[in-house]
Amino acid sequence: MRSLARAAFSAFRVSVRLRFISPWSYLNWLVFPVMFAAVGLYVLSRPGAASSHIVYGLLGGGLIGYWSVAYLDGGNGIQDERWSGTLEQIFATPTPLWVIVLGKICGGLLFGLLAFLPTAALAYFGFHAVLPGLDAGRFAISLGVLTLSFFCIALTLTPLFALWRWVFSMLNGFELGVYVLSGFMFPVAVLAPWAQGVAGALSPTWAVRALYASTLTEGPHDFAAWWLAAVGLSLAYLGGAYFLYALVGQRARISGQLALV
Amino acid sequence: MQPAIEARQLRKTYTTTRGFFRRERVERVALRGVDLAIAPGELFGLLGPNGAGKTTMVKIFTTLLLPSSGMAMVLGLDAVKDQWQLRKRIGFVFGGERGLYWRLSGLDNLRYFADLYRIPPEVSRRRIPELLERLDLAGRERDRVELYSRGMKQRLHLARGLLNDPEVLFLDEPTIGLDPVGARELRLIVRELADAGKTVFLTTHYMFEADAICDRIAVIKDGGIVAEGSPSSIKTVVQDQGVVEFEVVGMPVDRLAGLRSLPGVRSVTISEHELAQVVTVHCARPADVMTQLGVILDGVKMQKVSSREPTLEDAYVQLIGESQ
Repeated sequence: MRSLARAAFSAFRVSVRLRFISPWSYLNWLVFPVMFAAVGLYVLSRPGAASSHIVYGLLGGGLIGYWSVAYLDGGNGIQDERWSGTLEQIFATPTPLWVIVLGKICGGLLFGLLAFLPTAALAYFGFHAVLPGLDAGRFAISLGVLTLSFFCIALTLTPLFALWRWVFSMLNGFELGVYVLSGFMFPVAVLAPWAQGVAGALSPTWAVRALYASTLTEGPHDFAAWWLAAVGLSLAYLGGAYFLYALVGQRARISGQLALV
Repeated sequence: MQPAIEARQLRKTYTTTRGFFRRERVERVALRGVDLAIAPGELFGLLGPNGAGKTTMVKIFTTLLLPSSGMAMVLGLDAVKDQWQLRKRIGFVFGGERGLYWRLSGLDNLRYFADLYRIPPEVSRRRIPELLERLDLAGRERDRVELYSRGMKQRLHLARGLLNDPEVLFLDEPTIGLDPVGARELRLIVRELADAGKTVFLTTHYMFEADAICDRIAVIKDGGIVAEGSPSSIKTVVQDQGVVEFEVVGMPVDRLAGLRSLPGVRSVTISEHELAQVVTVHCARPADVMTQLGVILDGVKMQKVSSREPTLEDAYVQLIGESQ
C-alpha cells in the first residue's frame, strides 16, 4: 500500500513538474482564463447588467481554467503519454494505471487552482469586482465538492482516452460542453430545458451552483442538496471508472491501442 | 529445468475496422502458433523482417498484449493471468527515442519509474547511481533528456529496464538508429548482462548483432518460426553454398536473368550503392559462376569480383526467401 501511495505521489510530482515546464500549460491556467474572465467581466459590469451576475465574471474564468487543467491532465495527459511512447511503459509497470492517473490528476487540480489567482486579480484591479455576500465556509466546502467532482470526472474519462484513440477527437467538445452546461459563466437556468436536463447529470453543475450561491445573499439556497447531488454523481462516476479501468486492462491488451501506432 | 521464457502455440490476431458507412472487419495475423523455449541465463535473439511478429511477441511476454490463443509463460508465470507478479520480475526496452520524458532529467525519469516499479526508496537510492555509472550516464543525469544524444537516450532506456533488477530482460531492437560505436557499446553491455545470469530476449534486424552476442537465435517470418538454433547451426542452411559478389555500373535486367539460369545458382540479389550496384550470387559452386561471369556480363563494366564464405545474413536471406 505504501509503495502504491509513493507511486501516486511520484506521478503527482511529475505531473506538476511537467506542467510547470511546459509553456502550453500556461495557456490553460493563465491565458485562456484571463481572456474568458475579461470578456465576462466586461459584459457583466456594463450598465443594466444585474449586479449579482458580476460573480460569474469574477469566478467563471477561474472555473474554466480549473476545469481545463484538471480535465486535460487526465485525457490529454494520456494522449501526451501515448505520443511520447511512455503510455506503454507506465502501463507495463507493477503499478495499476488508475493509481498513476490519480496522481497525475491531483497534480492537475493543484495547478488548475492557480487559474483563480490571475482572474481574481483582474476582476479586483481591473473591474473593482468583489464577491458581495461571500460565505467563506460554504464557499470552501463548495470548492472542495467541485474539486472532488472534477477529480472524479477526469479519473473516469481518462480510461476512455486510453482505450480508444478516436475519443481524443472529442476532447475539446467535452471540455467546452461542461463549460456551457455546468454554468461556469452564466446560470444554468438560461439554458434550454433539454440542456438543463443534461446539465443535471453533470456533477460540476451542482457544485458550481453551490459555489456561486455561497457568494450571493439573495435567492433560495439549498446547499446540502446541491453538495449531495454533486458528491453522489461523482461517486457514481467512480463506479463507472472502476469498470472502465478493468476494461483498459483487458481491451487495450487485446487491441494494442496503448502504442502510438 | 523450467524454461525462463516459453511459448506454446502462441497466436495473435489483430482485428481492426475500416470504412465509414460500411464498416468492414479486417483481421491481421501477427503470430501463427509459435512454440519457443528459452533457458534461464540464455541470450536469445529473434530475427525477422519488419512486420514479422517480433514486437508482438515481446509485448505478449511483457504483458502489454494478450494472445488470441496459446500460452506465454515467463519465469513460470502466465503472462496473461499473472501480470502483476510478472511485471515486478521482468524489464523491457523498446528501441527508438520515445518512451522517456524528454523534458525531465535522466535522473527524474529513473526516480519516477523506480517508484512505479514499487522499488523501496532505500534500494532505488543505491541502484540508480550504480546504473548511471554502469551505463556511462553519470555526470549527465541532471540534464534534460532532450539534450541527450541518441546513444545516451538508449542507455537511459536500458537503465530504466534494469531498475527492478529483472531476472528476464526483453530488448526490442535496442540498437536501432544508434551509431556503430554506440551500438557496439550497447551490445557489450547486453552480453555482460547475460554473462551475469540474466535471461535476455533480443529482437533485431542486424544479423551480425545476433551472430556476435546471441547464444541461440530464431528466425521469424510472417508470424511463424522458420529456423531455430545456434548462429553456427543456422549457418548450416547455407553450408553447401558459396557467395560471389561483384560491383557493376548499370546492370541490364536480362543479364540478371542469365545469372539466375546458371547451374547451381540459388539466388541473385542486387543492391544499389552510391557509385555502383553490388550483385550477390548465392550458389553451389562459386568457381563455376566466376568463370561464367565474363560471358554473361560481356560489355558490362564490372569490378571487385570476390568469393566468400556464407554468413548468417546469407542464411537469413535464404530462410526468409524460402518461406515466402
